[in-house]
Amino acid sequence: MKGYQYLLDYFENSPTIIQVLWVMIVLFIVIIIILIIYLKLLRSRLRKKEKIVVQYQNEYESYLISYLYSGNEEEEISAEQQVIVNKLKSCVPDKFKRHVVVSTLLRLRNEISGEMAESIQKLYFQTGLINYALSSLKSKKWYVVAKGIRELAQFHVKEVNAQIVIHVNNSNKEIRKEVQLYLVTLFHFEGLKFLDVLQTQLSEWDQIQLLEVLQRFDEQEIPNINKWLKSTNDSVVIFAIKLAKIYNQFEAKDTLLELLEHRQKKIRVEAIQVLSHLQVYEAKELLKNKFDKLSLEEQIAFFKLLENVFESSDESFLQEHIQNKNFEIQVSALKIFKLLNIEKFHSFKRLLLAPKDAEIIEFIENN
Amino acid sequence: MSNVKKIVLAEDNSTLSLLLKFRLEKEGYKLLIAIDGKEAVELIEQHDPELILTDIMMPFISGLEVISHVRNKLNKQTPIIVFSAAGQEEMVLKAFNLGANDFMGKPFSPNELVIRVKRLLR
Amino acid sequence: MNTSTVQIIIFIIHFLFFVYACTAIASYIILAIISSKETIEYMKKNSFVNYKEILSSTISPSITIIAPAYNESLNIIENVRSLLSSHYVNYDVVIVNDGSKDDSLEKMIVAYDLVKVDFLINQQIPTKPIRAGVFKSTNPAFEKLTVVDKVNGGKADALNMGLNISKSDYVACIDVDCLLLENSLQKMIKPFLEVTDKTVIATGGVIRIANSCIIKDGKLLDVNFPKKLIEKAQILEYIRAFLLGRMAWSRLNGLLVISGAFGLFNKKVAIEVGGYDTNTVGEDMELIVRMRRYMEETKQKYKVAYIPDPLCWTEAPDNYKIFISQRNRWTRGTIETLRMHRKVAFNPKYKSLGLLSYPYWLFYERLAPVIEAIGIIYFIILAALNEVRWDYALAFIILAYLFAVLFSIVAIFSEELTYHQYKKKGTGFKLIMISMLEPFVLHPFILYAAIRGNMDYYFNKKKKWGEMTRKGMTKTETN
Repeated sequence: MKGYQYLLDYFENSPTIIQVLWVMIVLFIVIIIILIIYLKLLRSRLRKKEKIVVQYQNEYESYLISYLYSGNEEEEISAEQQVIVNKLKSCVPDKFKRHVVVSTLLRLRNEISGEMAESIQKLYFQTGLINYALSSLKSKKWYVVAKGIRELAQFHVKEVNAQIVIHVNNSNKEIRKEVQLYLVTLFHFEGLKFLDVLQTQLSEWDQIQLLEVLQRFDEQEIPNINKWLKSTNDSVVIFAIKLAKIYNQFEAKDTLLELLEHRQKKIRVEAIQVLSHLQVYEAKELLKNKFDKLSLEEQIAFFKLLENVFESSDESFLQEHIQNKNFEIQVSALKIFKLLNIEKFHSFKRLLLAPKDAEIIEFIENN
Repeated sequence: MSNVKKIVLAEDNSTLSLLLKFRLEKEGYKLLIAIDGKEAVELIEQHDPELILTDIMMPFISGLEVISHVRNKLNKQTPIIVFSAAGQEEMVLKAFNLGANDFMGKPFSPNELVIRVKRLLR
Repeated sequence: MNTSTVQIIIFIIHFLFFVYACTAIASYIILAIISSKETIEYMKKNSFVNYKEILSSTISPSITIIAPAYNESLNIIENVRSLLSSHYVNYDVVIVNDGSKDDSLEKMIVAYDLVKVDFLINQQIPTKPIRAGVFKSTNPAFEKLTVVDKVNGGKADALNMGLNISKSDYVACIDVDCLLLENSLQKMIKPFLEVTDKTVIATGGVIRIANSCIIKDGKLLDVNFPKKLIEKAQILEYIRAFLLGRMAWSRLNGLLVISGAFGLFNKKVAIEVGGYDTNTVGEDMELIVRMRRYMEETKQKYKVAYIPDPLCWTEAPDNYKIFISQRNRWTRGTIETLRMHRKVAFNPKYKSLGLLSYPYWLFYERLAPVIEAIGIIYFIILAALNEVRWDYALAFIILAYLFAVLFSIVAIFSEELTYHQYKKKGTGFKLIMISMLEPFVLHPFILYAAIRGNMDYYFNKKKKWGEMTRKGMTKTETN
């Protein structure tokens, strides 16, 4: 009691700064204690949640499997299936449980096809899960919208196409990405129509994902890519070049040749690469004539092209470049020379004296 | 009981494993489930199954290494079916080079898998 | 000098100390706020990314993992195996055996069926020459592996060799003893591919401490909280630095350091600036500063990105001796880097690099231990002269201590709310305990090591040079 009185007196007689400091000290201690208690609660909640997720997941997994195996051909839905639908339906209003149900369905939906995949989709409708995804489209939070679109794509809900297409030029990058994936996942090449109206840039990541989805389908009937190659949106052009390469679009050859004059260097380089892949001889002559005006990247890409389409008439051009300062061009030139004129290639051994050159020649000779 | 044919299934998606287990056990096979390549190798060594189903992409020991282990280290000719995701054509080729007998690209139809399993175990 | 001038000088000194302390505290608070914003944003964005969709893609860009190894014979086989188990498709692994004196190479040759191959190296960055040669595996299961055996030249030199050899667009420079999770490459490559209006020059990853964790066959099976105080304190320190500090700096696009233990680089830019500098012990920091400088000078829009996910696990020093020598080296690395790039400091031409990142590093990283040491000495002198106002001192010290504890607890919270790696019951209590003990069990040693680093840098040139000639990789390189 006495000590307490002493502290109080000390505090009251101290200068203001010290008083402020002590108030802050007490405040900090209180905050720390509150945080410690909260941390304890948080940790046990997280632990519990993890256990429950596994438990729910196992439960829903077995529901799902028995649903899939208890269907029959006569009825739209068998009695046993109805029981399971009702059980799941009762879980769905709970946000947490709904999340686990959806992820369980998806884990299987993404891996299988055929009748069973269709059954899973049916279950998605029957349990009313679809309604939650649809209502999320109206949310103000971007990640809720994006997640909703993704879910609809994963369950192949084509019917809501119109509600999703309106987001093609949404200001949020993630939403746009999900819209694009939705369209391509469900409508394949037909879905690429969004490229006609896209105002924003497609990132490399978006492009890879779209191509990845497209490659899952067997159809090789790809739409005319010329209008995309001519797009004013540079990223659409680059994407179209990738399409041309993957699906060997010889038909687009002329438009691709035009791209060699594009104002963007990146596009010019990619155009050379795809022309090289398609082995277009015209490209060679065009580029050879203006070789000195090309940027280094284009020159390197051109030599890669030359490796595919060289002819004996290129010999004198190549000879100019067997000592090119650029390593890749030099290696390319010598490599082609070896195939074109082996005797002359051997004569270089005496010609090129620098040890670095000798090393390259020796390597090319042996490989 | 010894004529019940054993199948080792290595797949990290437990829901898919469960589905296939039900489906194949209905056909009269005994299924041994591994969640990664390492467990698969252990199960194969222990039970000497008649057939192996393995995903290519699995934690730590990939499906490719499982195949390589069976063919080269254990010197077994047990039929192997691999599962692959889209875009893994290169991996599938490698799997065949290592001695896989068949492959199924994901997403696949479980019914089709049953047909292929039956054909290999005939 | 009369007493009034002395008093004025003393007053100015006190004032400077006070301003320094206040701005330091303010910067901590600001960084914590920025980082929590950035973290929330990041978690939202990543809550529904399906990394499986890009990992299988053959159209995804190529990545080379470069791992220098020096006398790592003990664990090299396991370590390489772990590096080979990434789920990304379009990648390969280059192990640079940097003149090891042990049997690392022989072991790898046997374990991975290696044979010597003809290999034409485009020597864009000069390095020490090849020793035994370049090796590849005859087993198709290991076709992603290349092993280069070269004459010893230090870590930076080995990494440069890797840069020369790599044929990929991106290179991941890592310590060979790091354990990478299987999806780490696709997570780290994402920032490079997401941008449309600038170039990402590098992405840094988080380093997590693997001490006491159960690792089997190159796979992280179980995360444990270690027993030793020094290990526990470092875990807290890393959480604080990576989840609060770097997250905030990445938001400000002001990252100056990418962990040498795990970073992904745009190879073209890394080579254009000349690769790693072999004349510094802080080559990881130095490279980033140089790359940033290059981008500023060539007027290109760029970004250094950062991924907070726990993707890379490594052993941290478990005794004070190794710990101190590690921090001593980090200190010298920082000093060297800042000195080499003095030109950047306060130079508006370099925008936020010159006006924000560099000054922050100079004052609150580089000079902090020096100022702290001066403060302590000053305090001791005052105490000896009986000039200390103990009521003030006590209140300030307690408050500073509580602030440090509070800051650590905030860091623990951000860990729990994001990655929650230490799930075991009771670890929460241990984390709290260590946040209270850390100012006593770790901080004094950090201070000591930093002062030693300063002394070695300025007064012990012999040590500096001596170390460089026999510089290899120690197992503990984590910064």
